[in-house]
Amino acid sequence: MARLDLADVGHSYVPDAAEERWALKPLRLTFEDARTYALVGPSGCGKSTLLGILSGLVTPSRGRVLFDGADVTDLPTKARNIAQVFQFPVIYRSMTVYDNLAFPLRCRRWDRARIDAKVRQVAEALDLGGRLRQQARRLTADDKQLISLGRGLVRDDVAALLMDEPLTTIDPQLKFTLRRKIREITEQFRPTVIYVTHDQYEAMSFAQELLVMDGGRVVQQGTPEQLFEAPSSTYVGWFIGSPPMNFLTVEHAREGLSLGGRPLAAAWDAPQVTARPQVGIRPEYVRIVTEPGANTFPARLRGVQDHGAQRVLEVDLAGQPVRAKVPREDGVPGVEEFLVHLPRTKILPYVDGRLATLP
Amino acid sequence: MDIPRRYKSMFVLPGLITLVLIIIFPLLFTIRVSFSSWNVSSPQMDFVGVANYVTMLSDGRFWAGTLRLVLLAGGTVLIQYVLGFGLALLVWRNVLGRRLWRVLFLVPMMTTPVVMAAIWQTIFHESLGPVNDLLGRLGLEPVRWLTEAGPAVVALMTVEVWQWTPFMFLLMLAGLLSLPKEPFMAAAIDGAGAWRTFREVTFPLMAPVSVSAVIIRLIEASKLSDTVYVLTSGGPGSATESPGYYLYIRALKEQQTGYGGSLSLTYLILMIVTLTVVAALLARALKVKGDS
Repeated sequence: MARLDLADVGHSYVPDAAEERWALKPLRLTFEDARTYALVGPSGCGKSTLLGILSGLVTPSRGRVLFDGADVTDLPTKARNIAQVFQFPVIYRSMTVYDNLAFPLRCRRWDRARIDAKVRQVAEALDLGGRLRQQARRLTADDKQLISLGRGLVRDDVAALLMDEPLTTIDPQLKFTLRRKIREITEQFRPTVIYVTHDQYEAMSFAQELLVMDGGRVVQQGTPEQLFEAPSSTYVGWFIGSPPMNFLTVEHAREGLSLGGRPLAAAWDAPQVTARPQVGIRPEYVRIVTEPGANTFPARLRGVQDHGAQRVLEVDLAGQPVRAKVPREDGVPGVEEFLVHLPRTKILPYVDGRLATLP
Repeated sequence: MDIPRRYKSMFVLPGLITLVLIIIFPLLFTIRVSFSSWNVSSPQMDFVGVANYVTMLSDGRFWAGTLRLVLLAGGTVLIQYVLGFGLALLVWRNVLGRRLWRVLFLVPMMTTPVVMAAIWQTIFHESLGPVNDLLGRLGLEPVRWLTEAGPAVVALMTVEVWQWTPFMFLLMLAGLLSLPKEPFMAAAIDGAGAWRTFREVTFPLMAPVSVSAVIIRLIEASKLSDTVYVLTSGGPGSATESPGYYLYIRALKEQQTGYGGSLSLTYLILMIVTLTVVAALLARALKVKGDS
């Protein structure tokens, strides 16, 4: 396992394009040894390009790629010693499960006994132990994906394990099992993992650290908790979380801020009067209350979305839409007008789409 | 029968009539003729039982031709497959001028078989042809390409390979271009070299295309007769005679219609059985079936 550094790496698929139009704007990143990272973002945000640069399938237009300090920018995939799991399960059709798992080791000319021990260890961890003699092509899609993963894990010297949306083609029911399995395995073998997905749940439940990408840039890097509690921009607040974070335009008052003519107390000082500030609050923290108090505002119910264990209430607060995620047992307010409480410590300030000050 | 159904059969009728006229009627007629003694001196639809078939059993020229066809078809198709696949692999990836190469390799296929055979006859001509001229310049003895049994078979196979390798090339190239990229990326990541990648990725992925291509070519090759007709006329003696050409001699040149009928029926059944068995064996050997 290794530490991966990207030094000023950027890429454009079109030669001589202006830097603003590059698929990946020049950036500096470090992936620490034995940690799991998830790259999340919408289609076309540059996450697959970044992964391609790490695996050697894409040569960056600029910058150097370092594995444990050694420059690998010009090395082909084969010489980089990485493992990759693709969106579609890739197996060697003519081989058994055992031969599939042994293939990378045979390519490296390991001796038989060492291959056998390693293959059995990995197969055991993947629950494929009983099916080693089966033809790999007869397995189900999720078992095939396990084999793809296993081929990466048998090589205990890989610099990094790259996964490119590995669960996209898997059944929803099996997805959950397989995700847990991948997580267990990575905790057991502790490789440096870089996991690409556009599914935020997958990213949050899997990775120790998330990199949210947009328009070829990493807009925020942090733990799932940091991304949830303190999105660095309205974009991250919108992208991470379901339903997305609420953003409300507020006014400067004589003392602090006001929302719909009522004072809004926050745990931070009001930002400069330069621009119209916004405040963000997660739908999970918006409370429906009966008693008036500080940071309590009248609201009108617009609609209800049923999410199973929770309900999302769409309300109108001083002419702005706000969503509140409430437990099912709380029920839906019987009246059309009620009070909404925005907890003081959960409100974040945003100016020009960026987080203004940290509480 | 209600009216819509009658309409439906009306639409099918033209095709059905054509089918009956060009396949079913000739087939039934051939079966009937094969039990008659119809020949050039007595064109009659009598009934002589299995007499023609008994004659056929001891017709060494027919059986020798059939055996020769197995070798000719099997041999040429195998060579075509190897060459066609090889050429396809060469121009599959980014090669300088690959578009030009791809078209160039197809030229022999675009030529009429008879014209092609006539040109090759000139090339193999024993005193005027360039092949013997070239051998002479290299200090080698001239070869009697078209009048000696062994060389004549080699000449015939050369023409067949030359003419039909492009077809194999085309099918294999289309197959290669339709392959997914991921298995090749995975093989590179697993550290497989060129040979391993071919053996474990390219070849297994190409197995279904390979089986189809080989079977299509075997069906075509089993009809071999026009090249034989132009190049060697089956000679020397009957050394390059194929069943198709022998049938032509018996049934059309000598007008032994009844006997010709029994030969062509036997030939048809033999080919159907053989090709079906070969197709099944190939599919099993290359593990084409039973995939998910």
